[in-house]
Amino acid sequence: MTAGFWHQVRAVVDRDLLRERRSGDVLWITIPFGALALLLVPLAVGTDAELLREIGVGMYWVIVMLFGVLVAVGKASKETIPQQDASSLLGLDPAAGFIGRTTSSAILLLAFEVVVGVVAVGLYNIDVLGPGWLILTMIIAAIGLALLGTLTASIVNSTSAGTALVPLLVAPLSVPLLLGATQAYDGLRYGHAIVSWVLLMVAVATVVAMIGVLTARPLQES
Amino acid sequence: MAVIARSSRWPWIAIGISLIVSLTMAMTSPADDVQGDLVRIMYVHVPSAWLAYTAFFVTFLGSLVYLVTRNIKADRVAAASAEIGVFFTGLALALGMIWAKPTWGVWWTWDARLTLTAIMFFVYLGYLALRRTTDDPVMRASRASVLGVLGAIQIPIVHFSVVWWRTLHQPPSIIRPDGPSIQDPMMLATLIISVIAFTVVYVALMVKRIELIHLDDERRAAEDSPDRPVAGEAVTVPELGGG
Amino acid sequence: MSDPRSASTPDEETDPLSGDVAAAPLVVLNGVGVRMGSTQILRDVNLEVGPGEVVGLFGANGAGKTTALRLIATLIRPAQGVGTVLGADLASSDRYDVRRRIGMVGHVPGLFPELTLAENLQYASRVAGVPIDRVPEALGAVGLAGAADRLAGASSHGMQRRTEFARELMIDRSLLLLDEPHSALDRNAVDLVEGLIERKAAEGGAVIVVSHDRDRINAIAHRSVELVGGTLT
Repeated sequence: MTAGFWHQVRAVVDRDLLRERRSGDVLWITIPFGALALLLVPLAVGTDAELLREIGVGMYWVIVMLFGVLVAVGKASKETIPQQDASSLLGLDPAAGFIGRTTSSAILLLAFEVVVGVVAVGLYNIDVLGPGWLILTMIIAAIGLALLGTLTASIVNSTSAGTALVPLLVAPLSVPLLLGATQAYDGLRYGHAIVSWVLLMVAVATVVAMIGVLTARPLQES
Repeated sequence: MAVIARSSRWPWIAIGISLIVSLTMAMTSPADDVQGDLVRIMYVHVPSAWLAYTAFFVTFLGSLVYLVTRNIKADRVAAASAEIGVFFTGLALALGMIWAKPTWGVWWTWDARLTLTAIMFFVYLGYLALRRTTDDPVMRASRASVLGVLGAIQIPIVHFSVVWWRTLHQPPSIIRPDGPSIQDPMMLATLIISVIAFTVVYVALMVKRIELIHLDDERRAAEDSPDRPVAGEAVTVPELGGG
Repeated sequence: MSDPRSASTPDEETDPLSGDVAAAPLVVLNGVGVRMGSTQILRDVNLEVGPGEVVGLFGANGAGKTTALRLIATLIRPAQGVGTVLGADLASSDRYDVRRRIGMVGHVPGLFPELTLAENLQYASRVAGVPIDRVPEALGAVGLAGAADRLAGASSHGMQRRTEFARELMIDRSLLLLDEPHSALDRNAVDLVEGLIERKAAEGGAVIVVSHDRDRINAIAHRSVELVGGTLT
């Protein structure tokens, strides 16, 4: 008799977060890398304050999308074949494994977004408008990106390219998340619609979640 | 030689006739009042874009059928269509940029359709990259099928997001992303015939590509005889050299 | 240590694994072949393993022993032939339902290096639905009670293997698959492994052991098979 589905999800989440706490890959490598990228942009485009304020939110979300995917394929999410075999023989439901890995990635991504966001506000002098909406878009973006990253990591698992292929697969599919997040902020700034952009992001997350859960077992079988 | 003899010739004939008809009409149709001869690019660009979307839709269908039925033929169809789709997507983008520079003064306009096409190009480049890095045919079919379904289902969402985004960021009035509307009946006929001709080209290329994949599978099966050595037979007893 | 070869297989009427009077074999492979990409690894493998049996599996390097174990563990699908393990067809999704009853200790440990030895077992217990209080007892049984808080990545290969054996002590399994169980283990741990094998067989389970140490395995196995040319002899 195996544990219940959600108990298994919780076990995977705890496992991955503990692995991250011990390895510190996201906290000490990916987050600083993202912050460094924000620092490099003005060196390339110029340090005009108004220009940076204008492009700051967009640059922040681009860095979240491009660098954030590294969280989904980081050490905390990576498993060797013997580790996968061991988990399989414990009776881990593939869908529970998918949801668990996605949840831990989303939590780490949210941490990435918050820390890098503080850096962006400081470097680019961005106005923090509508904090409730901002938090909501950050959460949905983290979940959507975690879903995309975890699913594509499963797809490339055991191929010769490995996780190197994940960013190429995730980036184009994350466009609605990128547009939703940036346009939601523009909505706060200029009075455009916000809800429709947020719903667009939710649609992405929902579709990817369904595909991820439905294909978890076939992907593990292959 | 037996392999070549078995290969059907009608797809090549169909491709040849279609391209000759299409290009002849493109070169003989009247020039546009505003664009001049530059309009002739449209007769390749538009069909290429049409083929790209059609090909990726077929990839989606093939991927879905494979996931449900595990019939490897469906995966072959999906893969062949993706290869052709990527080629025509690249062609559509390149021709569009060549047409845009003298017409609009810029290589790229961030038009919603153009942007979506560019995104699709990268999605299916990734699909082909995934197939290239997976040796096992069953694993390749499973993984690529999931990506084929994921990519296609996301396309409408990406499309709406880009359209909404472009709606908020209206282009400068000097640039008309929708391009000219076609008034001349001869030009319209040329465009329609080009689309039909390129569709024939797509079908013919699909037939040849699937035939190639099938022949490759037959070759592998022929090599897979009961007497074929297993991997472990490559390991023999070590022989130390004489001292 | 008693000679398992002199003991009969468990009484059919008391066999805990048999639903019927006749004890069904736990592993049945008929003409099974395995491919990895275009490479044939196993061909025409025939094997039957019944409850209470200990079977030794020998073969040269690269013969496909580990592949055979992973096949029986339901982690690989056969490319040819028909196989069932614990009643589940290896080609169908039924094999997911029996994995929880299959234990495997491979020659490469499957522990998470960032977790301690105890945390690795706690994770296993939570996923497998086993009471977490079995963890200290299991670690004690393999002589690692004092190293429970050591990171798996900082532990020796032998300690990691002992931890995996602790996992198998914690979880009720009908079939145990061991790949080079004696490697990296000291004399005490070797005795532990052989005790585990005997216990599993006595409980009515089956054990398949891959090893290069023929003498030691033949001393505890009911029979042995050899993997030659991708097939079992």
